[in-house]
Amino acid sequence: MNRQQRLEAEFAAQETKARAMGGAEKLARRKAAGMLNARERLQRLCDPGSFIESGLFATSTSNPADRDSTPCDGKVVGFGRVNGREAAVLANDFTVLGASSGATNGRKIAHMKRVATQRGLPMVFLGESSGARMPDHMGSRGMGMLLGNDGTQYQRMRETPWASATLGLSYGSSSWYAVLSEFNVMRKGAVLAVSSPLLASLAIKQDVDPQEMGGWRVHAEVTGFADLIVDTDEEAIDALKVFLSYLPSHHREAPPVAAVPAGSGEGMRDILGLMPESRTQVYDVRKLVRTIVDRDSFFELKARFGKVGVTGLARLGGRTVGIVANNPLSRGGAMDADACEKLTSFIVLCDSFNIPLVLLVDTPGFVIGTEAERQRAPGKIMNMMNALALTTVPKLSVILRKSYGQAYLNMGGGRNSDEVAAWPTAEVSFMDPTFAVKVVHGIDPGLPGFDKEFAEMDRASSVWDFASVYAAQAVIRPQETRDYLIRMLEVHRLRLSDGVGRHLMRAWPTSF
Amino acid sequence: MASIKIKTEVTGSVWKIEARAGQRLAPGATIMILESMKMEIPVIAEDGGTLVELHVAEGESVNEGQVVATLTG
Repeated sequence: MNRQQRLEAEFAAQETKARAMGGAEKLARRKAAGMLNARERLQRLCDPGSFIESGLFATSTSNPADRDSTPCDGKVVGFGRVNGREAAVLANDFTVLGASSGATNGRKIAHMKRVATQRGLPMVFLGESSGARMPDHMGSRGMGMLLGNDGTQYQRMRETPWASATLGLSYGSSSWYAVLSEFNVMRKGAVLAVSSPLLASLAIKQDVDPQEMGGWRVHAEVTGFADLIVDTDEEAIDALKVFLSYLPSHHREAPPVAAVPAGSGEGMRDILGLMPESRTQVYDVRKLVRTIVDRDSFFELKARFGKVGVTGLARLGGRTVGIVANNPLSRGGAMDADACEKLTSFIVLCDSFNIPLVLLVDTPGFVIGTEAERQRAPGKIMNMMNALALTTVPKLSVILRKSYGQAYLNMGGGRNSDEVAAWPTAEVSFMDPTFAVKVVHGIDPGLPGFDKEFAEMDRASSVWDFASVYAAQAVIRPQETRDYLIRMLEVHRLRLSDGVGRHLMRAWPTSF
Repeated sequence: MASIKIKTEVTGSVWKIEARAGQRLAPGATIMILESMKMEIPVIAEDGGTLVELHVAEGESVNEGQVVATLTG
């Protein structure tokens, strides 16, 4: 063998060892369970041939005995192109010490985040990890050496979008990065929690069911930490790509522009038919959203959490917009604390990444009563209001039907939007006329005089009175909504700053 | 077969029951309609399933979070 051949042979041997992950047996078990391994996940995520690895030959260093059995120190990281755009990517390799956090892989993650932030690349986390590595972290020396030495580790200033997939058991860092991200897709069967059920059982001295503690239903319906639920690894990774397709690579650029699919706006002629004639009947606002936006472009987030508020990314005329809508189908559109939090976090996402907001309004107000107050409704309502007030991307609101009370302001009424448009079906007032008749005149429904006073209150809520004081800048025919919005997005484009907002909420908490 | 408890999102009264026990419901199908805040609010089988039992009757008052039906998935 000449020198070149010797080097090649040595390189090949080292590379084979480094790419072995946790060994054939563990990898086969995963495959049988229908789970991709870390490298297969990266392959699915990155454009073919585009992944360039960082730290292929890194291993655990805390215990010399681990060196040969910890390829990549359990976290495979590098740079890959996602739909043609450069991104920093991280795949936890659960087959190597449960992808636990150690000294070397901590430095790998820090490097990825540093490059992503400084060079303006989205960051993708493929989460599945057991938490801090034991016994490395034990004792005061372990703690002192391993934790807290990077003061920016969990700092979030939204310089670039972070997208996360929770793909298996995720404790510690995988959970932290999932909730710090703008988007977290969760695979059914995965668990997202602070700590493992074993540790939780030891701490509280009772059995803990992992799915009850941190399964998909909990995070889809109770915590809102899952933006999307899917059945497989493949679907989760594809969802990350779809999410990123709406976003700019960093906060100093406008989102990418896509071609407008054929057939967009096709259903606009009949859009009014999607709303029932009776004001007491409900409908699913998402059908209207899908009709208005570019064909198949509505990507709903947190569909099962705070359902009375609908949030999702979409495109109008090829440009990314954030849709915020009330959904009468749930609670008649009366906004609750969960919906306020969901809308607040979505407003922060859009404003941080230069995505204009479109608000579709049909709400009788906020849910009131004992339970609502116990859920800290006033605080949630004002957080949302503050977020809307701090927004510097264009905000367009369309009042479809009801807009009442403080919720009128929270949904962009008055100067809380750049433009307020209303359908002829809009009704705007401080409270539902039925209740107002009781409050003002003391008359219950069915009693003499009610109908007359109701008719008077109801007439005074009409869109024409609203437009007469220029509280709506336009009354639009329902079928014109899509064209109106596309034109107004053009009018309000942030020309003076190349489509970039001021990001006053960049340090807003990442969850609630 | 997982048992799914369907809870109401609102306090109100049962106005109309639209499904019957034993019926197979498609995802998103309406089980019953409540009257609350002067609105007709549907209770929906989000994931679909077979309706095993209805726990309320028309005209009955219901509280937010009350289980009104049981399905199997």
